Amino acid sequence: METATDPVCLEGVSVRFGSRKVLRDLTLTLQSRRVGIVGRNGSGKTTLARLIAGLIAPDAGRVTVAGVDVCTDRRAAIRTVGILFQNPDHQIIFPTVEEELAFGLRQLGRSKAEAREGARAMLARFGRDDWAERAVDGLSQGQRHLVCLMAVLAMEPRVIVLDEPFAGLDIPTIRALRRYLEALPVTLIQVSHDIAALREYDRVIWLEGGKVAADGPADETLARYLAAMEEVDDADADL
Amino acid sequence: MLTLTSEIRTPYHPIRAGAKLALLCAATVGLFMLGSLGAMVAANAAVAALYLVPGRPFARDGLRLLKPVWIFVALVLAWHVLTHDTRAGLVIALRLTAAVALANLVTMTTRFDDMVEVVLWLLSPLRRLGIRTAPIGFAIVLVVRFIPVLLAKARSLIEAWRARSPRRAGWQVALPIALVAIDDAEHVAEALRARGGFDTE
Amino acid sequence: MERQITLIALFAALIAVLGLVPQFTLASGVPITAQGMGIMLCGTVLGARRGALAVLLFLALVALGLPLLAGGRGGLGVFVGPTVGFLVGFPIAAFVAGWIVERMRNTPILTAAFIGAVIGGIPVMYVFGIIGMSVTLDKTFAESALLVTPFIPGDLIKAGLAAALTASLLKARPASVLSRG
Repeated sequence: METATDPVCLEGVSVRFGSRKVLRDLTLTLQSRRVGIVGRNGSGKTTLARLIAGLIAPDAGRVTVAGVDVCTDRRAAIRTVGILFQNPDHQIIFPTVEEELAFGLRQLGRSKAEAREGARAMLARFGRDDWAERAVDGLSQGQRHLVCLMAVLAMEPRVIVLDEPFAGLDIPTIRALRRYLEALPVTLIQVSHDIAALREYDRVIWLEGGKVAADGPADETLARYLAAMEEVDDADADL
Repeated sequence: MLTLTSEIRTPYHPIRAGAKLALLCAATVGLFMLGSLGAMVAANAAVAALYLVPGRPFARDGLRLLKPVWIFVALVLAWHVLTHDTRAGLVIALRLTAAVALANLVTMTTRFDDMVEVVLWLLSPLRRLGIRTAPIGFAIVLVVRFIPVLLAKARSLIEAWRARSPRRAGWQVALPIALVAIDDAEHVAEALRARGGFDTE
Repeated sequence: MERQITLIALFAALIAVLGLVPQFTLASGVPITAQGMGIMLCGTVLGARRGALAVLLFLALVALGLPLLAGGRGGLGVFVGPTVGFLVGFPIAAFVAGWIVERMRNTPILTAAFIGAVIGGIPVMYVFGIIGMSVTLDKTFAESALLVTPFIPGDLIKAGLAAALTASLLKARPASVLSRG
């Protein structure tokens, strides 16, 4: 059931990398609780994900999440939107789990003690109390994904952007992580090649060449997207 | 791969790298042996002429490569003006610009691969001492491969920091960057070993 | 053998990447680049010989025309400019830093690496740097020394970071710390 949530608004957003136009004059308002973004490699989905998280500045237009200009007001942005990247090894900064979870809380302004408390509380929520002192190095791939998720959740954002969050994991692990995600009351915006993951979503947007090719209920957009992908022959593959 | 070699074709590009380097050495030694203001002015004029032969855009690129030297030129001139020894200051400054500009000219007109060949050739006498030079050429290739990969990983980690903090990335990102770098090196070493490695020569 | 060569190449690349990190500015208004820390790390992590080789490899690439020095500088020009002394000092600094870490085998790595990084990265490197400046700018040693003193506090910070990083690497990836191998 769709519920009105904190809107993610893109107004006339364009992004250029050098001479290449990655996103063209995009205007979107995302208010569904579960939004999926599909598209081919190079379509601009990853750039869109980073825009919503406030990590890239648009060359034109504005991006706001729940009224916060996520690019210019970083202080408020980190309270509002979080992002989960594809590879935990490119995300985890600190050597122990507790430090990694506490980092975001410190950046939100909590004291060292409060941050430690918050980290432990998050670990308890997931039944991983014993992970506090553990070295991230010693954890498995799936466990590292969970650490990244907990680190983002600890900051209690209203919107979480997921950029291909399950790449490289085995099926049971994906299932378990998905269960955690689906139970969350926050808005999820997931960029994915995994169609199955997005079937249950409220709204799916298909990005093609930096523009919106289709936008609507999940089953509609996904059907159109899959049909189009069937039409693409080998010559147009990303090789 | 981004090198400093100019994409603008010059008449100097086809000249053999070894020859250009030898000329450069001779010219640099000469510059440091001459002491007169007149000689320095002449030298700079000659260098400027060399740069203008391929055209103004090329000369402008050359000027840009000289930017780091300007601050030293300014320092030297200021110093010497204050100590009432302007003439000596001008000699030093002009010698500096001529020497650096000449060296840059060689860099701008010589391909990276040709330079590597010269280096390996210069190192070849080492083989008589039992030192193998093949790994050196290989090491060069490896560094060129590592730099963009390392950069990308560093950027990802810095981005991951910025996703959770309004502040610029701090010194703490140095460790995870070093770790992913070392792990990448392990994979490369493994791939090398799988393809025969160095010990099978 | 493969691991040693790849590590040497990796650290040479690391020096380059550290040169691309944006400069910090100290309270005194002096800009510091992270590249010097890379030099120290080559010594403290790889040891004297291999650390020096890594730095020489880096310098070779700069000479060959890659813009790897902080600020995107490179090419043969930098070897005739006023900073040439520092470039000569780089591999020697790494060697000394590594030699100290190797010699102080029984001292905890953090201390040994700090001492190595400070001695290699500051007095050794600066002596060569100052000589180079004196020759190219036609100044006395003392006069050139004056020009570089503001950069020393930044280098102390870099030495501390290099030492901490070396110690962490010894814990996390002991096989890569060739200075204590």
